[in-house]
Amino acid sequence: MASISGSGYQVQAEKNGSKDQASLQEDCLTVCISTIMSTDLITLVESDPMERILEIFDQYHHHTYPVVSADNELLGIIDQNIILQILLVSRMPRVHHTHLMAVRSIGEDARGVMIPHPVTISSDMGLCNAAELMVKHRIDRFCVVDDTKLVGMISKHDIIKEIYRIRSID
Amino acid sequence: MEVLFQVLLVLLLAKVLGEFVERLGYPAVLGEVLTGLVLGFFLIQDNTEVLSFLAELGAIFLLFTAGYGEVHLRDLKASSKKAMVATLFQILVAFASGFLLGWYFDLGFLTSMFMGVAFSPTSIGVVVKTLVDMDYLSSKPGTMMLTTAIFDDIIGIFLLSVVVTMAQYDQIPSMMQILVIAGKLMFFIVVMAILGRYVFSRLFTYIHRMHVKESIFAFVVIVALFSAYFAEVMGLHAVIGAFIGGVLLSDIPLAKIENVQSKVSGVAYGIFVPIFFAYIGLSIDPATFYSIGLFTVLVVMMALLGKLLGGFAGARMIGFDNNDSLIFGTGLMARAGVELVVISIGREMGIVTDELFSAIVLMVAVSLLVSPVLLKMAIGRKQASTQNV
Repeated sequence: MASISGSGYQVQAEKNGSKDQASLQEDCLTVCISTIMSTDLITLVESDPMERILEIFDQYHHHTYPVVSADNELLGIIDQNIILQILLVSRMPRVHHTHLMAVRSIGEDARGVMIPHPVTISSDMGLCNAAELMVKHRIDRFCVVDDTKLVGMISKHDIIKEIYRIRSID
Repeated sequence: MEVLFQVLLVLLLAKVLGEFVERLGYPAVLGEVLTGLVLGFFLIQDNTEVLSFLAELGAIFLLFTAGYGEVHLRDLKASSKKAMVATLFQILVAFASGFLLGWYFDLGFLTSMFMGVAFSPTSIGVVVKTLVDMDYLSSKPGTMMLTTAIFDDIIGIFLLSVVVTMAQYDQIPSMMQILVIAGKLMFFIVVMAILGRYVFSRLFTYIHRMHVKESIFAFVVIVALFSAYFAEVMGLHAVIGAFIGGVLLSDIPLAKIENVQSKVSGVAYGIFVPIFFAYIGLSIDPATFYSIGLFTVLVVMMALLGKLLGGFAGARMIGFDNNDSLIFGTGLMARAGVELVVISIGREMGIVTDELFSAIVLMVAVSLLVSPVLLKMAIGRKQASTQNV
């Protein structure tokens, strides 16, 4: 069982020869998001038509794709929930047929269907802060933006992977 | 204890009747108003102060969520001038039919103004399901309806703010008074815009770091209540402030986190908004239904025809053919949220009489029942004529 909690975690960590909680947290504080974020991104351009958007969702398996302008400014995001709602609009109960949903479901391009103004973080934010934000606000991934330009994405998985890596270093 | 029981009953019945009406294919708001009517008839006759306060919060949250979750300023900028022409024309015709009806029945300037404002907005959400079912959402009249709906709420709120401010004067306001009204409105909007642009957005970057529980959610509610209170201080109505507060927060990423949006929606549609609609039903004097006369019938007819004809003519003006114009007109007939807020404010201010209140609630109920059916018929007519060609 991979359950990690309290002192049990520390004992297990010591047995493995990995770091204890305190030093792990200290190390996490020094790690910057820019060093662990994904930079090899699949992005949608604002004018991408619905067909292209569906193709991307079919071809890759990410939950969320950023929508950018021609000069790489982050404009919004499109996630699997939106795509499902658009595809199944006629199957949705009446409560989901809001004005906003209706406008999105007839959107012809990425700008028309995206969620504008996603919460973003900057690349110099620490790993601990990003993780805290994710847990506190129940956000699974952030677009990383420097001066309005999209520079990467970071997910909970990336953070867990990094913490696991730091733990394993003697 | 009695109050607890009242709230419990209202919420329980509103959800049960709302679900029943939804299953019949109509919006839950009908069941919620019916809840109040039934409870008023059998159980709750007095001691409704707490319910009245909760209903007021319901109206505030209804308009706040309309601004916070649905209106996007970018959509307004993107919409065409043609859509503006059709929108303004249909609102003008609907307003005129309400105002002139009130004037004809000698109800006085202010009451006639309230009737005009109550006739003006549209609840597009009611017919979206029909448009989706008939595969007509992306049609010319369908997309025009969606654009029109963006302006409808905003123009409706603007008209409401004018009429509420006017209500402070007992007669037709003088030029000077109109300037004062316009000045107050402008001042309120400018202060709110400055707060939205420079204060709220910065505030949320601090709020999200707070350690207390639910800080963002609490501050979203605080902004809603602050905007409502500030509007009242400026002589406008709380709901107007709530709507504008909602629009300002809709562009702030931290205030629109999905988790927070879902909590705001839960508080609004899980608790306060159903109480508001039930309170509308509860406020109806059953005696007025026994004396339904020509006036009530005309209110229902003129409200529906005003939108139908206004929409039809507006669409014809911008080049739609007869069938598409008819679809556009029928799609705009449904009324629900904002209209009920308008008349409850009018009643609270002593301008809307019991008879007029019941007539407009009846008009809303009839519009909810007939507009999806008429829209289906209008689309069917168009499809039949296309097949014949």
